[in-house]
Amino acid sequence: MEILAVFSPLFAFMVAGIFGKSIGDRGCQFVTCAGVILAALTSILLFFDVGFGGHAYAKEIAPWIISGDFNVSWALRIDQLAVVMMCVINIVSACVHVYSVGYMSHDEAKGRFMAYLSLFTFAMLMLVTADNLLQLFFGWEGVGLASYLLIGFWNHKFSANAAAQKAFVVNRVGDFGLALGIMAIFVVFGSISFDTIFEQVADKTEVTFTFFGHHVHALTVICLLLFMGAVGKSAQLGLHTWLPDAMEGPTPVSALIHAATMVTAGVFLVARMSPLFEFAPTALMVVTLFGATTAFVAATIGLTQFDIKRVIAYSTMSQLGYMFFALGVSAYGAAMFHLVTHAFFKALLFLGAGSVIHAMSDEQDMRKMGGIWRKIPFTYGLMWIGSLALAGIPPLAGFYSKDIVLEAAWADHSWFGNYAYWMGIAAAFMTAFYSWRLLIMTFHGKPRADHHTMEHVHESPPIMLAPLLVLAAGALLAGAVFYQPFVGSPKAGGSAHGEAVTETAHAEKPVAHAEKPQDKAHNQTPATKIKALSADISAEMTEALETVKEMDAEIAQGTDRHIFWGKSLKILPENDTVEAAHHVPKWVKFLPLVVGTLGIALAYLAYLLSPGVPGRIARMFKPLHILFFNKWFFDELYGQLIVRNARTLGKAFWSIGDQGIIDRFGPNGSATTAGKIAKALSRFQSGLVYQYAFVMMIVAIAMVSWFFFKSGLRDLG
Amino acid sequence: MISDFNLVPLLPEIFMALTGMGLLIVGVSQGNRATPVICAAAGAALSIAALVLLSLGWDAQTVMNGMFRFDEFAGFMKLLVLIGLIASLALSSRYLTQEDMARFEYPILIIFAGIGMMMMISANNFLTLYMGLELQSLSLYVLAAFQRYSVRSAEAGIKYFILGALSSGMLLFGISLIYGFSGTLDFTVLGKTIIGLEQIPIGLTIGLVFLLAGIAFKISAAPFHMWTPDVYHGAPTSVTALFAIVPKVAAFALLMRLLFQPFADMQEDWFQIIYFLSVFSMVIGAFAAIAQENLKRLMAYSSIGNMGYALIGIAAGTAQGAGAVVLYLMIYIVMTAGVFAVILHMRRQGLAVAKIDNLAGLSKTEPALAYGMLILMFSMSGIPPAAGFFGKLAIFNAAMNEGLYVLAVLGVVTSVVAAFYYLRIVKVMFFDEPADSFDKNEGSFARRVVLIVSVLFVIGFIIKPSILYECAMHAASALFTVAG
Amino acid sequence: MASQEFLIQYLPILLFMAVAVGMSVVMVLGSLLFGKQNPDPEKLSAYECGFDAFSDSRNKFDVRFYLVTLLFIIFDLEIAFLFPWAVALGKIGMFGFFSMVIFLGILTVGFIYEWKKGALDWE
Repeated sequence: MEILAVFSPLFAFMVAGIFGKSIGDRGCQFVTCAGVILAALTSILLFFDVGFGGHAYAKEIAPWIISGDFNVSWALRIDQLAVVMMCVINIVSACVHVYSVGYMSHDEAKGRFMAYLSLFTFAMLMLVTADNLLQLFFGWEGVGLASYLLIGFWNHKFSANAAAQKAFVVNRVGDFGLALGIMAIFVVFGSISFDTIFEQVADKTEVTFTFFGHHVHALTVICLLLFMGAVGKSAQLGLHTWLPDAMEGPTPVSALIHAATMVTAGVFLVARMSPLFEFAPTALMVVTLFGATTAFVAATIGLTQFDIKRVIAYSTMSQLGYMFFALGVSAYGAAMFHLVTHAFFKALLFLGAGSVIHAMSDEQDMRKMGGIWRKIPFTYGLMWIGSLALAGIPPLAGFYSKDIVLEAAWADHSWFGNYAYWMGIAAAFMTAFYSWRLLIMTFHGKPRADHHTMEHVHESPPIMLAPLLVLAAGALLAGAVFYQPFVGSPKAGGSAHGEAVTETAHAEKPVAHAEKPQDKAHNQTPATKIKALSADISAEMTEALETVKEMDAEIAQGTDRHIFWGKSLKILPENDTVEAAHHVPKWVKFLPLVVGTLGIALAYLAYLLSPGVPGRIARMFKPLHILFFNKWFFDELYGQLIVRNARTLGKAFWSIGDQGIIDRFGPNGSATTAGKIAKALSRFQSGLVYQYAFVMMIVAIAMVSWFFFKSGLRDLG
Repeated sequence: MISDFNLVPLLPEIFMALTGMGLLIVGVSQGNRATPVICAAAGAALSIAALVLLSLGWDAQTVMNGMFRFDEFAGFMKLLVLIGLIASLALSSRYLTQEDMARFEYPILIIFAGIGMMMMISANNFLTLYMGLELQSLSLYVLAAFQRYSVRSAEAGIKYFILGALSSGMLLFGISLIYGFSGTLDFTVLGKTIIGLEQIPIGLTIGLVFLLAGIAFKISAAPFHMWTPDVYHGAPTSVTALFAIVPKVAAFALLMRLLFQPFADMQEDWFQIIYFLSVFSMVIGAFAAIAQENLKRLMAYSSIGNMGYALIGIAAGTAQGAGAVVLYLMIYIVMTAGVFAVILHMRRQGLAVAKIDNLAGLSKTEPALAYGMLILMFSMSGIPPAAGFFGKLAIFNAAMNEGLYVLAVLGVVTSVVAAFYYLRIVKVMFFDEPADSFDKNEGSFARRVVLIVSVLFVIGFIIKPSILYECAMHAASALFTVAG
Repeated sequence: MASQEFLIQYLPILLFMAVAVGMSVVMVLGSLLFGKQNPDPEKLSAYECGFDAFSDSRNKFDVRFYLVTLLFIIFDLEIAFLFPWAVALGKIGMFGFFSMVIFLGILTVGFIYEWKKGALDWE
């Protein structure tokens, strides 16, 4: 079954990639969708088996490298962490596959696109099911490759190619760290297999590396190197610049790779290596600081952007920051929880944005949208759900996960935990603000697009909306459903969240209901409509929750988070912030919700009620606005510091080293020389028989002379 | 008197001689209209000779007063020669009528050349050696000029004859020096004499030099190669195929027998000559071919280069090296036969063409042929998994084991250079704009069989390379057992 | 001196050469002294198979001369081969006899070939 879950996308990729021409676009779409949906179904089965049944196992497929002490095999490690990731990947991927059939219907290379998507899915699955670091690295690079191919999918666009290269090169920096980390692990542990490493961790806490005469703590170094890889892949501050540019790729790609799955690989990596990180407190602190700062900085940038996809991209970056500081305070379960919920609502937002872009004839600038909510009510409603979830409004998914993340940060009671908490709160405020800024600018107000575009605004076809429904269900429910198993409830009574831990597994029902309010809303003013909508949604939700309460109770009983995660996450008892998070003061718990609501309200105030305000504020805080709008000048900084110098150096190497020396004396030179020799030799071939005879005689005489000469020497000596 | 009067090991030669003469009588009485029949009969005769050869016991023995040596090495090399002859006869059959040279002497000359080669292989005395060599050469001179009314063919014939005579002169001069300084013509006795010598007299060395110069001409090793491109170019293509495929095997067998048996004790001396010839051949074969536009000339340089590689194996001077040479030659003749099958196919408006450009876009006009040629070219340039790679591998391996790093490295480097012109053919076939297609229905059945067998051999070799490798090693090891 | 003994063996050859030279000189002188001298241009010109001996050596002449000459040489050599064979026949026995028969047989095949090919016809 695990084979089916992991390899059916590979199979689909091969079929679509190799026989794409002969089976046609339809065939490619069918094969890839079928492959991924099959994988999704089997991984859900695995999830129940492993996650709730607790049967974690590793399945060896084939030996890979056996060289001296170095043994690596292809193996699938199916544990709780892996199945959670597999579910997320496969479900989102299946949605995106289906969505792409509609979204890419006007593209010429549909088959290629679908094949790349499947390739990505497979690589990502390889990454999460890896049983050793090398296989993980294989998947890691595989997703990098697929990401590169997909960002640059529209390869006729210069900007897409540039973005693809940027993503690849920036990731390379992180990958370099990851590779070094893996090597360091091999040096310290003598193995790169997870089990062997984790068994030995406790004994290796004293190991140090000698580095330029300094003794450094080996585990810290390893963890920091691994984290460097995570920073690159998950677009944390410093190596984040590729992510916004990656929005050059088709929107389904942004949804799948640059929101839901690949960028969370870093989170997964740290969670997977939690047994190591637990013994490297300094590394954990670095992770927290990076995460918190990223969450804040990305949110500030998100406030000012106008490209709809870029706003969501910065939001992704910000949310990844949340996950990282959760990891940093040892709340791995919380981080994974946020990862899952985020995957759903962010993919939903992206695909919704894609639907908007589709409707607006490929327009991405929010300044040229507005006033279209009546024309595409369905998309509008779904974007609302996504945004609510993102802003952390109960009872949507984001509320649960963001809360537990922030609480865990607070509960760490360290200075960086506090820093993370307050950064997180600030980011939560901004998140709510820019989410509604996006909603309002896109859907409300006067239409700012030209007449022609407006006439063409249309709702997306069902094939694009159906996946959105699935994701919306996830965004609505994932938080409530998985709260209990992923982060558990307080051990002792007195739970503040007790009421909240109610959930449902039925997706269709609430979603089907969610459509209703939109229909009603047609004749109402925006404000009342929204009120009605949220009221309806909550009403429907409660209703749905009531109906399936018994089921939840069963699950809740059987699965405490320790039982659920099993051995896949390791948390030292003194670091158990998730447990502590359940016992934080009430204001800590409600603050995120309050700032979120505040942010929404402010956005209404600023963009809908008095549209002049944002401009005035921007002028008032001009330096700050410039800083945010230009993304804190990271690109410019890198451009000046690194790219320009690297380019100069590269040019020098190219013109002097490569062309001047290697090519001149290497390939080009030797080719020219070979040609010259050939010419000279064929001139020698005069066709005159006496010259041939002459050559023969001369050579014979020369050989004879040589032997005479030699024997003469011999006689003399 | 003849003490060991035993004609059994000579049966294939005797059979071929009788058949050849019989066919000559038949032919001359029937005239040229009998040519197809005689071609078929000659093919049958060669096949029967091969069967007879196979049915003999291959134990080492020396008959005819020590003039004739038969052992596993001789048997194996003769088999290669016979296969080569059959292949080249198969390649010729259609071409003879196309080029209006269907005269009955053609197959008979091939048979006589074959007898000469087999004598060379079995020679255990300088007289037998010379007789075999001349019988082979004279037949080939005539074949080179066989297209009487073509100026090129006549020129090729006369050039080959004059230079061949010169080389024979050198060979004879060398033999007489050797005779003068050792007092014997018999290889076995000569070997013992040399071992008995305290110091090798310079005359013997000089004799060896001239002897090797003469044989180097026959295998077209540079710098005695000058005739090769002109003769290959001028001779009728079917004859060029014959030249490229068969005589090299015989001459190499002769060279190996001479160097590993009677002159084994003079390795120090001949090693230098072989080294020199090998280096020259590889370099010239690789570089000069780049400038060629004509496929036949290209194949000439290709064969020069290939002889250079094979000489590396001899330079190694070990049984392993000798086995590698045998394997290399075996693969070489198969590949060459295949390539010439393609060249012979190239006809436009009833005229044979052999320019590389004529192959342009062959992949579109005749894909099967183009893919066949592609495989052969890959094999020629030594790209795995084609057979050519294994031949080179065996040779370089033998050289490395003897510490001949310079030769091995040079061999690899020139292989790379040579790959350029082989792959250029592939490029022309697959990526250039199609030229006019070749004449249809011009491929003869026999030629097609040769091409298919060749291609299958080249691809299929990898399935079980050890069989032929073992055979070659076994045959070569016979050279190193003491002559009885 | 060993080498002198070695050279002594060649004394008959030296004598033979001396006799040959002597006889030639005697003949030439004899014809000069006793012959009847009646020269004309035709008689004075050197005889060279019907060709002008002192013109350009690269002029054309009939290739059939070569054919006949080559064919003649083959059978000439055959005779040269047969003389020592005939002398030694008593010693080499049946083996020697049949060896020559085979050789003659091969030669005959060649002869049949050239005859049938018409190489012996001048026209």
